[in-house]
Amino acid sequence: MARITCAALTKSYGAVLAVDALELSIGHGEFMVLLGPSGCGKTTTLNMIAGLEEISAGRLLFDETEVTWTPPHKREVAMVFQSYALYPNKTVRENIAFPLRLRGQSASEIERAVGAAAEQLEITHLLGRRPNELSGGQRQRVALGRAIVRKPSVFLMDEPLSNLDATLRLSMRGLIKRLHQELKATFVYVTHDQAEAMTLADRIAVMKGGLIQQLDTPEGIYERPANIFVAGFLGSPPINLVEGVIAGGAFTRGDFRLALTNPPQEGRAVVLGLRPEDVSAGGDVTARVELVSPLGSETHLDVLAEGGVALTLRVPKEWRAAPGDRLSFGIDPARLHIFDKASETRL
Amino acid sequence: MTRFGYDERSAALLVFPVLAVLLVVAAFPIIYSFWVSLHDIVLTRPLRRPFVGFDNYLRIFDDARFWTAVARTTVYTLVCVAVTTFLAVLVALLLNEVFPGQRLLSALLLVPWATPSVVNGLMWKWIYDPTYGLLNGLLVQVGLLERYRVWLGDPDITLLLIANAAIWKQMPLAALLMIVTMKAIPEDLYRAARVDGANIWQRFVHVTLPALRPGLMLVLVYETMISIRHFDLFLIMTQGGPGDASFTLSWLIYVETFRSLRFGTGAAMSYVLAITTFALSWAVIRFLGKRI
Repeated sequence: MARITCAALTKSYGAVLAVDALELSIGHGEFMVLLGPSGCGKTTTLNMIAGLEEISAGRLLFDETEVTWTPPHKREVAMVFQSYALYPNKTVRENIAFPLRLRGQSASEIERAVGAAAEQLEITHLLGRRPNELSGGQRQRVALGRAIVRKPSVFLMDEPLSNLDATLRLSMRGLIKRLHQELKATFVYVTHDQAEAMTLADRIAVMKGGLIQQLDTPEGIYERPANIFVAGFLGSPPINLVEGVIAGGAFTRGDFRLALTNPPQEGRAVVLGLRPEDVSAGGDVTARVELVSPLGSETHLDVLAEGGVALTLRVPKEWRAAPGDRLSFGIDPARLHIFDKASETRL
Repeated sequence: MTRFGYDERSAALLVFPVLAVLLVVAAFPIIYSFWVSLHDIVLTRPLRRPFVGFDNYLRIFDDARFWTAVARTTVYTLVCVAVTTFLAVLVALLLNEVFPGQRLLSALLLVPWATPSVVNGLMWKWIYDPTYGLLNGLLVQVGLLERYRVWLGDPDITLLLIANAAIWKQMPLAALLMIVTMKAIPEDLYRAARVDGANIWQRFVHVTLPALRPGLMLVLVYETMISIRHFDLFLIMTQGGPGDASFTLSWLIYVETFRSLRFGTGAAMSYVLAITTFALSWAVIRFLGKRI
């Protein structure tokens, strides 16, 4: 285990600032997920922690030791790549054994460690095969094996499940979570998949433009998004965002009016955030159903409320509705998110 | 239903002209030269061409000149292929990096390759020239040589000097093939190796070299086929001399066929050379192909 401290960590490519004075502290044995869209700086941050990317400014510490200029192999980190990065000419056994061989461990030690890692990942029967004879899921297990065999204090994972199909991704997600619990090491995991982030993370750092937008637990980020970007990035279907003003202690947009428990100042231009699932049956909001998308366990409804406000609702499958129906539903004011329109931050 | 549909008939019709040209320019000479190799054809007695079976083949295998030529060709080919491949890998490693002037250097790399063979031969002949050659001038001026030497007159090094000229011309294409192969190596493999603790040499051995095998195979096959059949440099630079120091198989075939006018034995030698080239290429593909 190790604590990782990024102090004003910066990476620039000429005039382009990829990571902008990042401040982040990752605790012993914590599972930290860096979440964000392409180009937000999450992989660059991971590469700087790995030592694969030179740090332009700032400091990086593992526990109390500065590792800003320490080469990758001396940082006691293991990395799992999106492309698996398995050596194609080596067998699974040789791939897993490779980092130990480079460290000059004895053949018996290597054999024992490779056997244990293979057993843990249930790939013992694959040890004699080459990567091109394996499926995507098997390759990722081998990549994990190569990482865990060294018993590093920090695991770095760069979108490791992105190349897998949905079913496999789900089972591999479970495997990674189990590994984290068993190994008790510090994990830094990069993804653009909010479901992966929510299910795996102890804390999530949502990034955009090289900056952390919000750092919090998955629940904290989902329940109290710091700004419109974070609110919109998490949740499926995405949060409903409606522009309007505060009038008479309520959010108002034309004829659409929602009373607020703790309203900002009168006349302020704001953006209302409503999670699709934060509605209840029966209430004083009425809308016309435009589109019905039954998903089996639940139904998504696209509705048009007063004032031309278009909303997507996630409702129980028992709600019966057809396009053109008038629908009444309730919205708990405590579940609403209000953002300042100009600064896009939470009010 | 008809046996051949409209599509098959049009396809056959479209392919036929190329097939006909190939038959005339490739298949006919191969078959005809084999026929020639089975006859005792000497151009000084054109009307007498008796069938001798494989006697021409047996005769050349008994000829000491043939085995000397085989030995010289082997040395020449080994030197050319080994040095060309080694230099190509080094140049490719260099040009695969990003540094100021890399593009210019990549463009300059093509100059020797684009130089016609005859020009290349003449250029190196002049460089080695005993009276006004650049090599003598350079070595004397820097003090490595006391007086001008007749470089191509030294039987111990003639073959190597010709090989040097060949390597200068052939290396750029081999390097290009290597660069293309190197560009296809995923960057993540190097990153993984760095995290695993591999130093620069270990990254070369464990990542670059195995990934270079397809390119290496191509270069080895191509260079072997080219070097074993080299002729133009020998014609321009030494004509087999001094003595028989640069008497390779290609040169022997030329002398036998066009100077001694013994077409039968010349054709038999050509066949031996062609079969050897084919066998060597097949062996390289089979040996390296298994490991890819």
